[in-house]
Amino acid sequence: MPMPRKPNNSRQARALFAALVDRSQTWRHGYDLAKETGLKSGTLYPLLMRLSEQGLLESRWQEAERPGLPPRHVYRLTASGLVLAREQELAVIAAERAGALA
Amino acid sequence: MTVSTDLWRQWAVKLAQHASWVLPGAHASWAEAMRRELDYIADDRTALRWALGCILASYKARLTAWSGFSPRAVLRQAAASGGLMLLIGLGLLENAGGQTKPPRPLFNETTCDLPNVAPDLRPRLRCGTVGVPRDYDNPDAGHFNLAVVVIKSEQQPSWPEPVIYINGGPGAPLTVYAAYQARTPYAPRRDLILVDQRGTGRSEPSLCPDLERKLLDANFAIAASAADDAIAARQAVYLACRDQAIGRGLDLRNFGTRITVEDFEWVRQALGVERWNVYGESYGTTVAMTLVALHPNAIRSAVLDSIYPPDPMPLQSAIVSDARDAFFAHCRQDKVCSKSFPDLAETYRDTLGRLDQNPLVVTLPPRMRQAEDRVTVTASLFEAGVSDLLYYPNAYPALPRMIQSVHDGDAQGPATDLAAQPAAAETPNLATHAAVECRDRPHLHAQLPVGASVLDRRQLYGVCDRWSEPGPLPLVPVGARVPILVLAGQFDPVTRPASSRHVAELIGDSARFVEFPLIGHNVRHFSPCGTRIAADFIDHPAQAPDTSCAERIAPIRFLPKYRTP
Repeated sequence: MPMPRKPNNSRQARALFAALVDRSQTWRHGYDLAKETGLKSGTLYPLLMRLSEQGLLESRWQEAERPGLPPRHVYRLTASGLVLAREQELAVIAAERAGALA
Repeated sequence: MTVSTDLWRQWAVKLAQHASWVLPGAHASWAEAMRRELDYIADDRTALRWALGCILASYKARLTAWSGFSPRAVLRQAAASGGLMLLIGLGLLENAGGQTKPPRPLFNETTCDLPNVAPDLRPRLRCGTVGVPRDYDNPDAGHFNLAVVVIKSEQQPSWPEPVIYINGGPGAPLTVYAAYQARTPYAPRRDLILVDQRGTGRSEPSLCPDLERKLLDANFAIAASAADDAIAARQAVYLACRDQAIGRGLDLRNFGTRITVEDFEWVRQALGVERWNVYGESYGTTVAMTLVALHPNAIRSAVLDSIYPPDPMPLQSAIVSDARDAFFAHCRQDKVCSKSFPDLAETYRDTLGRLDQNPLVVTLPPRMRQAEDRVTVTASLFEAGVSDLLYYPNAYPALPRMIQSVHDGDAQGPATDLAAQPAAAETPNLATHAAVECRDRPHLHAQLPVGASVLDRRQLYGVCDRWSEPGPLPLVPVGARVPILVLAGQFDPVTRPASSRHVAELIGDSARFVEFPLIGHNVRHFSPCGTRIAADFIDHPAQAPDTSCAERIAPIRFLPKYRTP
């Protein structure tokens, strides 16, 4: 039986989506994402793995920028990931508006 | 307590390696991704914090994979009952201080100290050791450190799923040839992994390191004569080595292909490799086949180049006789060869008879380090020399004229190349060779068969029955689902092409068999066509490789009869 899909609306997931959607066409490194989002590697990578398994994130190995360094794993949102991220943005905006009206 | 920043970095690396161990299987590339980020983190303390996070991430992923439990709930429980992370940390700090036994597979990276490495190759090398259990059934028996070299593909990023090359022997070193291996990759876009098998090269244990020297005379005596005292003398040297090894606390049951296979599996896990492509050559095919049989899920594809099948095997002399006959038959059909040497088979037989009556004394250059720079070519030595030259296609053009030269009693011409052959042969670690062969090959525990020739006497008959019991035997992966490519040479003096084909048939539908005309043992080594086919297969194992080049092998350019200048 397939496992139920985990929700991606935690604070950490939203922070990661925000960072990835910000430059959606750019391949991002794990450490850079950690710095930008403030997420520790122990939180960041399980999220990346989960998004990848859900088809929301694509990854590949990228050649090192400088000789002598190893290739890095890089990430960006898939089309589905982008849709979900935009939906979340809209939801946040809607919630903020709702809050402002309340 | 002050801790040097170097130590922070070392711990960070070890923690990241541990994360790789926790995350095998489908998540291995994630572990590698986390680990490689360490190289981009300049600050050592930040690197350590990063690595601790990697541990946490890997355990979360592992727990998620194990069950439907919420990792958070599991971790909360573990933390409440004593601190899982504290235990992990303490365990790893203990490792960092030097352990007496390896609790888990770890790659301890060291600086590379390898010969002939050009500056442009240096950045592509990762060198280190992996501690493997001496005895897989007894974890308290300590460990052996195996030398491991990873050669990153020239073009980065490497494709996933590296190649592990398993060399022949048993007993031959490998990592010392890393520079050569880097120049001739098996699949150029993939990393290549080299391991010195236990008891070989730079790997522990060092089993009778002086045995080769002590056996020089005994082996030469056996090659030259069938006399019982020659066999007894060799047996005495081997048994002294055995006693010496046992006296040093070594258990000779901890050798053999079945052990070697577990070592490779241990190394795979230590390197965080999810699946690899296995390339076995000669004895390496014995290991590769057993690896496929026992650990198929870790193998994406396997190439068996010049199969050395498990027992039962025919007498070595019978296999060589077939290879020799095939070569002589080819000479008969070749215009140049048949013109110079109309009946090479008869010349060969006649030479054996002549040498039996009158051995030929041949002068060798001093670099061959023979007593008084001379070798007496007996019939046995001649038979052994011709057999050894059948390994090497680059010797084929001159082989007929060498035979003719010895036949004609010419001690100055091409006969010297043939006479030098036994002295020039590469010597592996002969103690490790015996330790593995005696466990793997029950037939070597029998008496030397009637009708045995020099080629059989060179085997370990008379040694194995006193060395160790036969162990669990190597396997043929019958019915394997792993895609397998079998390469065989027409003149292979180790295995008949028909036997290799038979092994491929035993494996079943997953095996493809390609025979290469005019090639001996170790196809890829001597055939650019074999190299290309193997590389194509490794990159696309599900597709039938284009093997048409094997039908267009360049003819042997036979040298005409030698005439004394």
